[in-house]
Amino acid sequence: MSGSDLFTGTLDILILRTVSASPLHGYAIGKALRDGSEGVLSVEEGALYPALHRLERKGLLEAEWGRTETGRRARFYRITAAGVAHLDAEATRWAQYSGAVAAILGRTSR
Amino acid sequence: MSPWPFRRALPPGAVRSEASEIREEIELYLELRAEELVRDGVPPEEARRLAEERFGDVARIEADLRRGGRPGGWERGRRVMGALGRDLAYALRTFRRSPGFAAVAVLTLGVAAGGNTAIFSVVDAALVQALPFPRHDGLVVLEGYQNVNGEKAVRWASAPEFRDWRERSRTVSLMAAVGQPTLTLTGDGQAERVDGEVVSEDYFKILGVDAAVGRTFTDEEQATPDAHPVAVISWSLWQRRYAGDRSVVGRTIQVDERPFTVVGVLPRGFRGVSLDADVFLPMSMISVPYGSGILQSRSARFLTVIGRLADGATPSAAQAELDGIARDLAAEYPDTHQGRGCLIQTFRDFYLGATLGSSLGTSASTTARLLLVLLGAGAVLLLIAAANVANLLLVRAHARTREIVVRRALGAEAGRVARQLLTESLVLALLGGAVGLALGAWGLSLLVRFTPDGVLPAYTTPSLNPRVFAYSLAVLAAAGVLAGLAPAVAGARVQIADGLRDGGRGQVSGGGPRRLWGAHVFVVLQVALALALLAGAGLMVRSVRAQIAVDPGVDLHGLVAFRVSLPRTRYPSDRDITSFSRELLRRVRETPGVRAASLSSSLPFRGGNTGTFVHTDRDLGTPVRVWYHLVSPATLQTLGARLRSGRFLDPGDASGAPVVTVISEAMAKRAFPGENPLGHKIYLGRDSTTSNGAEVVGVLDDVRYRNLTEDLMAAANSPDVYFSLLQIPARTLEVAVRVSGDPAAAIPSLRKVVAALDPSLPVYQANPLVDDWRAQTARPRFAAFLMAVFSALAAVLACVGIYGVLAFSVGRRGREIAVRRAVGASASDVARDVVGDGLRLALAGLVLGVLLALAGGRVLRGLLFGVGTTDPVTLASVAGLMAAVAVAAAVVPAWRATRRDPAEALNTE
Repeated sequence: MSGSDLFTGTLDILILRTVSASPLHGYAIGKALRDGSEGVLSVEEGALYPALHRLERKGLLEAEWGRTETGRRARFYRITAAGVAHLDAEATRWAQYSGAVAAILGRTSR
Repeated sequence: MSPWPFRRALPPGAVRSEASEIREEIELYLELRAEELVRDGVPPEEARRLAEERFGDVARIEADLRRGGRPGGWERGRRVMGALGRDLAYALRTFRRSPGFAAVAVLTLGVAAGGNTAIFSVVDAALVQALPFPRHDGLVVLEGYQNVNGEKAVRWASAPEFRDWRERSRTVSLMAAVGQPTLTLTGDGQAERVDGEVVSEDYFKILGVDAAVGRTFTDEEQATPDAHPVAVISWSLWQRRYAGDRSVVGRTIQVDERPFTVVGVLPRGFRGVSLDADVFLPMSMISVPYGSGILQSRSARFLTVIGRLADGATPSAAQAELDGIARDLAAEYPDTHQGRGCLIQTFRDFYLGATLGSSLGTSASTTARLLLVLLGAGAVLLLIAAANVANLLLVRAHARTREIVVRRALGAEAGRVARQLLTESLVLALLGGAVGLALGAWGLSLLVRFTPDGVLPAYTTPSLNPRVFAYSLAVLAAAGVLAGLAPAVAGARVQIADGLRDGGRGQVSGGGPRRLWGAHVFVVLQVALALALLAGAGLMVRSVRAQIAVDPGVDLHGLVAFRVSLPRTRYPSDRDITSFSRELLRRVRETPGVRAASLSSSLPFRGGNTGTFVHTDRDLGTPVRVWYHLVSPATLQTLGARLRSGRFLDPGDASGAPVVTVISEAMAKRAFPGENPLGHKIYLGRDSTTSNGAEVVGVLDDVRYRNLTEDLMAAANSPDVYFSLLQIPARTLEVAVRVSGDPAAAIPSLRKVVAALDPSLPVYQANPLVDDWRAQTARPRFAAFLMAVFSALAAVLACVGIYGVLAFSVGRRGREIAVRRAVGASASDVARDVVGDGLRLALAGLVLGVLLALAGGRVLRGLLFGVGTTDPVTLASVAGLMAAVAVAAAVVPAWRATRRDPAEALNTE
């Protein structure tokens, strides 16, 4: 059991997608996840960091220290080539699920 | 934020990130998050805290990152706790979203747990809690008995018998004898009847009790008969009568009108082996309450013997040894010891049996079994409650399929989902436990308040002690796991693909049929268990009714009774007793409202029966064990007893006239089978050479003196014979008075009558006779009542269970029902279907329940009177009742099914 199993798999893909456009620091990734997919981080926002470090360890992300627009020191995460390939593969598989999940979620709200 | 100089030198990935960098990274997140919250309108002072709260367990996540995501031992523990915390929080959130469900589940478990807590504390008090003696391990009671046709008939031991046991036994190292007279205290303050104990040497040593003030008896005081009038009193008498005055030690008090010097006060709570004694006298002073010569008589059996087992001796070894001693004594003294034995019981067994010496059996095992039956009934109730909650959870889990599918899709492992569902049921169980404890405490206080005297041993004080807590916690945890297991397994089995497939069809029933099948099994189980409990309750109620219906042989209503005891000192001769008796009766009869009055040595259900042996002129060789009653001539009329043949004793049967006797029907059948007993003679005593004998002048319908349940014709039970008080006077007199109006209201004026005659004569045990009769059924009524409460709750829970499943299935089958309506099925067709579903479930439960009841009825064997353990009438009626409950449970869902608008139902999908 590694990381928060609630997000295993799913969270990784969402993170990869979020940083695929441009490198972001942890807070920005978290904010994007919170704004984009409702409630995925609702249980524990901090679960983001184990996921980031795991992806880094797997070589799907790389990180380096930089400065935010307000000049604060922050660790920025960038997607690697392996990350892009992984994202493409998973995104295809996930598309099937997410559609179905959305359908179910749609029906819950009567 | 000091940079670590060697960081660059290390190979990448060896140390994931240095601790301070991880902290910095998280710190930045928290700062920015707090700023965001402030922008959203959260007060700045709140923002930081809120940001951390949203983040989760900062320290844990930091530690995880430091180890590169591999949790260590301590951390793993913390994470499990963290996960548990999240599960708990999630469970509580879930319950807040559906408070109705949570309330029903918690209440269901709470009521069942409350019942269990209450009954367990009673069982604990009776079977586990310490006896009121400092050291009761190794303490035994030795009861003498008479073997009558294989049954142990007579209790007590004679003084020579006790001395023989003591001298010959090796397994019982110390033995002491106890006589239990009722004593009169006079002189200082009001005349009072108190329970006393006359005790031999070693009594206090065996029990491990010493005086709290003063001392107990010396060997010298025990050694010389009638030389040392000393007494020891109980703490409660000391407080009550002497206001705790220490100078009472050394003071002289009047016991049975004889001066005794108080030498000690016993510790608080100690009331002797009789559990109610206030005054203790040395055995050397036995002549005061019992008359002289009693210690020499082998046939005067009145002593209880206690002993301490020798080191290493077991009760069974002692029993074997005493059996041998009894055989030796029978050989040495055939006249008095033929068929005598000695029964050894541990103190706990003795008290369990003896205090409940009412109607049904008097053995310890009977009482223990009754309590265990009730405890078992409680456990069954809890099982039903657990099944009910399991059902609620199952049905809910079904409704939550979408939620579970989504969570699984988001990556939650099957085990994790199961754990979550199990956590929910355990939280329910815990909440139920809290409710149960409150209900249990309340139930226990009711139980203690309304438990009739004599139902439980006098020393029992049921309380919510740690053992009770532990028991309640254990059963609740079991209930929680039982209730949560099925839904958890079902939840874990939910396949994402199932949910998705069903989603495609627009029908949510992922894994549904299987889980609904589970719900059906639970309902069937509930119905079966409830039926078994109802059957038990039904049998017990019928048993009580059978006991109440027993003809006592007298007319109890309007009768009031009280007792007086004439002290030897002021009423030394028979003539004194007779003249007092005559005057007392005259004055009682003159009291307004009194219709009749009589005197006797005993009255029904009030104890004081005296046993003896007689033989008859028909069969001189065989002594018959009888209970004999000394009665005044008006007894027949006063009690409303019925004469079968001949005449009753009349005023002419006085001293000087030939001694006559009236016998009971049972005695007539026993001693004069197939003959008219009138004119035959009965001889008192074992010895057939006794002079004259008493002529039988009448036969009385059997009067139930001792209990309602014994078979008076059974060989082991002794029949009753009556003699005239005018010919054989008695010192302790029961006064029976038949009044018009409320018998209880007559007591004060009756007390005045006695006080006017002899102010120092205490009136005791004054109460309507019907109270004594009622006390006979106190224990079975108590047990039947508890059983009825448990089974009623069980039936209600089963009803809720049936209702839940039907309501759910009607809701789920809305579309199917709509289609059927659309193609022409009538409302009553649909309703009949739903009720039919309910009845099918119920029927399966009923069949299983009847089988359970037939098998389980065995535990009631020996606890029932006048009804068999497999009584078909009871089984049929409770099965009918349960079927009616099932129909009632089905009515609302059926009605709802017919109310659904077919068009609407079809459209909602």
